[in-house]
Amino acid sequence: MSYEVMVGNKACATGVKLARVKVASAFPITPQTTITEYLSDMYAAGEFDFDFVNVEGELTSQVVVQAATAVGARSFTCTSGPGLLYMHHPMQETASKRLPLVMAVVHRGVKGMQPDHSDLMSQQWQGWIHMYVENAQEILDTCVMAYKIAEDKRIRLPVAFGYDGYVLSYTAEPVEIPAQEEIDKFLPPYKPMPSILPGEADPATFARGFGDADPQKPWKIHHEAALMAETVIKEVFADWAKRFGRSYGNGMIEPYRIDDAEAVITAMGTIAGSAMSAVDKLRADGKKVGLVKIRSFLPFPRTDFREIAKKIGAFGIIDRSCQPGMGGPTWHQMRSTLYDQPGPQILGFYAGLGGKEVRVDDIVKIGEKTLKAARGEKVEPLVDWV
Amino acid sequence: MSQRITRAQIPLEEMTIVPGSACQGCGAALASRLTFKALGPNVIRHGIPCCPDAVTKHPRAGAVFEGGGASLTGTARGLKAIGRTDIKAVGFFGDGGVYDIGFQGLSAAAERNENILVICKDNEAYMNTGNQRSSGTPKYAETSTNPIGPRSRGKETQKKNVPMIFAAHYVPYIATASVAFPEDLIAKVKYARDLEGFRMIIIQSPCPVGWNFDSAKTIEVARTGVQSGMWPLYEIENGTSFKLNYKPKELKPVVEYLKPQRRFRHMTEAEVNEIQTYVAERWQKLVKADEVHQVII
Repeated sequence: MSYEVMVGNKACATGVKLARVKVASAFPITPQTTITEYLSDMYAAGEFDFDFVNVEGELTSQVVVQAATAVGARSFTCTSGPGLLYMHHPMQETASKRLPLVMAVVHRGVKGMQPDHSDLMSQQWQGWIHMYVENAQEILDTCVMAYKIAEDKRIRLPVAFGYDGYVLSYTAEPVEIPAQEEIDKFLPPYKPMPSILPGEADPATFARGFGDADPQKPWKIHHEAALMAETVIKEVFADWAKRFGRSYGNGMIEPYRIDDAEAVITAMGTIAGSAMSAVDKLRADGKKVGLVKIRSFLPFPRTDFREIAKKIGAFGIIDRSCQPGMGGPTWHQMRSTLYDQPGPQILGFYAGLGGKEVRVDDIVKIGEKTLKAARGEKVEPLVDWV
Repeated sequence: MSQRITRAQIPLEEMTIVPGSACQGCGAALASRLTFKALGPNVIRHGIPCCPDAVTKHPRAGAVFEGGGASLTGTARGLKAIGRTDIKAVGFFGDGGVYDIGFQGLSAAAERNENILVICKDNEAYMNTGNQRSSGTPKYAETSTNPIGPRSRGKETQKKNVPMIFAAHYVPYIATASVAFPEDLIAKVKYARDLEGFRMIIIQSPCPVGWNFDSAKTIEVARTGVQSGMWPLYEIENGTSFKLNYKPKELKPVVEYLKPQRRFRHMTEAEVNEIQTYVAERWQKLVKADEVHQVII
């Protein structure tokens, strides 16, 4: 174990190294760029045994790591905003082939270069596991854990973890680097399932398509695997906490001061950090507001929120993206999650889109409005722009 | 350069699974059969959306249409990472996947000199979707997106010179081949298989449905294409060394190639002459290149 003050992107590259990735491929795009540079430096210096493929575009990087994962090499790629949109086409295939790839998405909005969650949120139908992380330490830890989650035989799905560009990718923080031997005990070498190698491949899988299977079945199996990820994520995070002494709630959510809360704010990524300070401020004023950081957006932490909903009067949902004509994806998910039970009011707040700064006082106001709703007071409008 | 083989040296073992789902007389199915015979079993075959041609016993890796070069790259790098460089990463793509939508990824793979073998079964249009033009379609050919009418004489421009473009990436090996010359085709595939780095073979694969000729005449059409200079057979090493593999004393007139194919039936005498002149000029350059063993373009 060692410590280093490093930026988010270096924490990411360090996680890749600790996970003993064999093939990495990426195309530079701000604010992800320096991950490709850190990896290039590591490759040039022979810091660990891996292959780095410098490609001509994001679509290629996604397909390269897809194929490398298929033959049995643990692989990594990373991108941001428009680069992720360019990967859209092959990403679907990564998930449909059930390839346990891990990808870092350094958030960059699609209406400008500043960060919001519109890039990763736009990929909800791709069949990946989506996580959102808050700080550099969490980037490193999540990068390693993501492989254990993705490669679990019960799910075998690719994992994308997102973190806010600039404010996190380029901001230095002290990071604890676990010892390689400890990581090796946690994360065993990757074995592909099934094998695609000549002589080992099952012809029914990789050669001609046989059989008259129900064409809907792959969707059903895929959906069930994605739901199963909740169990796997909780197990892996519990194991990590035991081994390394660091935990992020149960992996699905990270609650903060919610035990006696009347109202709960939810936030994702770096906004969750500011939201903690806001909660402390509200608490100092005697206002019983708590925070839930949503770590896993896909699958959505339904079980956890159904429990929390029983004890509180209102949720204030912060969305850092907006699907025009539809609204905030987290707000929608929460309302869908709690539809079948009598529960709290669910307020929506758009904040930080296009990289707009979200201050602690903005979140204090969100907390106060949510608390009002929790106490049965009428609040207007239900969804607002911060 | 590849060494000549005789028909007796063609491997007997078939790699294709029969019955296949290709059309009668499919040139691409024959290209697949010959190619994978020559390659043997230790191959991961890569496909992208294209005609079914002939399915082989190899494990298959599919990718998105534009992802041929990238998926071969990933496989080759992954095999190296797991210490299985004995297995060959081979792509078998159509002209859409090589000349057009997959061009960028393949060009990049060639520039990186990836250790991959790309085979293009060139049937000169998007045949899987019903004969829409590609940049591999020759000038004046009628396609479903170049119908003949008052404003259209078929495809407007000459076929993209893909072998020379890839040769200009200075890669180890580029060759053209034809299903009508199986010994030459197999010799080239075998030679390419055992080289390191980026190799590409472009195989002329007549399509009786799209080119619109009698499906019993696939080989005749292909052979006339080579004999008339429409489809020259050559090899290029490292982007510079050149060898013309088939040099008749005299070329057949292109009209013998064009006439049996209904995609060219609307052509006027002047248009045929234009193609004849174009082919003759290109042929002279190829003969000259062969004499000096150097690429001339």
